[in-house]
Amino acid sequence: MRAHFRPTRSLVILVAMAPTIRLSVPGTLRYRAIAVRVVAESARLVSASALRDPNDPLAHDVRHPFDTAVVSAFMEIFNNIAIHAYRRKGGGVIEIEITPTDGALQIEVQDTGQPFDIDNVAPLPSELDEASLPEGGMGIHIAKTMLDEMTYEPGPPNLWRLCKRLSTHQVAGRS
Amino acid sequence: MPTPFEVQQTANETRLAVRGSLDINTAPALAEEIDRIIAGRPSKVVVDLGSLDLIDSSGVAALVKLYKGVRGMGGAVSITGARDQPLAIFKLLRMDKVFNL
Repeated sequence: MRAHFRPTRSLVILVAMAPTIRLSVPGTLRYRAIAVRVVAESARLVSASALRDPNDPLAHDVRHPFDTAVVSAFMEIFNNIAIHAYRRKGGGVIEIEITPTDGALQIEVQDTGQPFDIDNVAPLPSELDEASLPEGGMGIHIAKTMLDEMTYEPGPPNLWRLCKRLSTHQVAGRS
Repeated sequence: MPTPFEVQQTANETRLAVRGSLDINTAPALAEEIDRIIAGRPSKVVVDLGSLDLIDSSGVAALVKLYKGVRGMGGAVSITGARDQPLAIFKLLRMDKVFNL
């Protein structure tokens, strides 16, 4: 599965015959918004959520709980790769493979930067009050909590696998 | 990239309105503004998130910095208007109760 990723510095969006969307972006935060936009629209394919304003399709319109979960998690993973794997310097690419199915969205995110020590992520305080409000270390917690499955295989290449499924209630509510 | 925030100073309060996406790309500029707000030792800061569409952990960290900074100097912080994805993030992090959202 991992051999078909071909790192490139150019931006490529391919929609294959199979319902898989592949996106390759340089591994810097400059390209984050493009990747987030593609993931948000992919989530919308699964959730069938309606645009708030059809006349403004480029607005940030992440209201459906499924879209919220997918986009929130992906943003944190992209941040993590750009900051930790590529050390804010770029020099590599982020390969994203999105597979929308009838009731779920699977995303594979691959980079060739420094491996991330996911086991070293500190948990959030069990009792949160004003004094213990965290000012960092929240990203992986957000991603993991928002998703149904999240795995990480250190490399290089490093591979994140993200999966979010529609709930039974959300499937029934699709328009 | 347009600045995603606006600060208004009145006699009684400092009002910070954040809009669009508060994320790893936009939070650093807000953090600089937050430093200026805290340095002014405001007695009350109102943060209006009614036009905020997206937030990530970097954006949350900036708002926590504001909250702690102002509260640490004896001021009050009121966060209002959070909805949709930002509200979901605050709830996930259990900050909704601390911020009284």
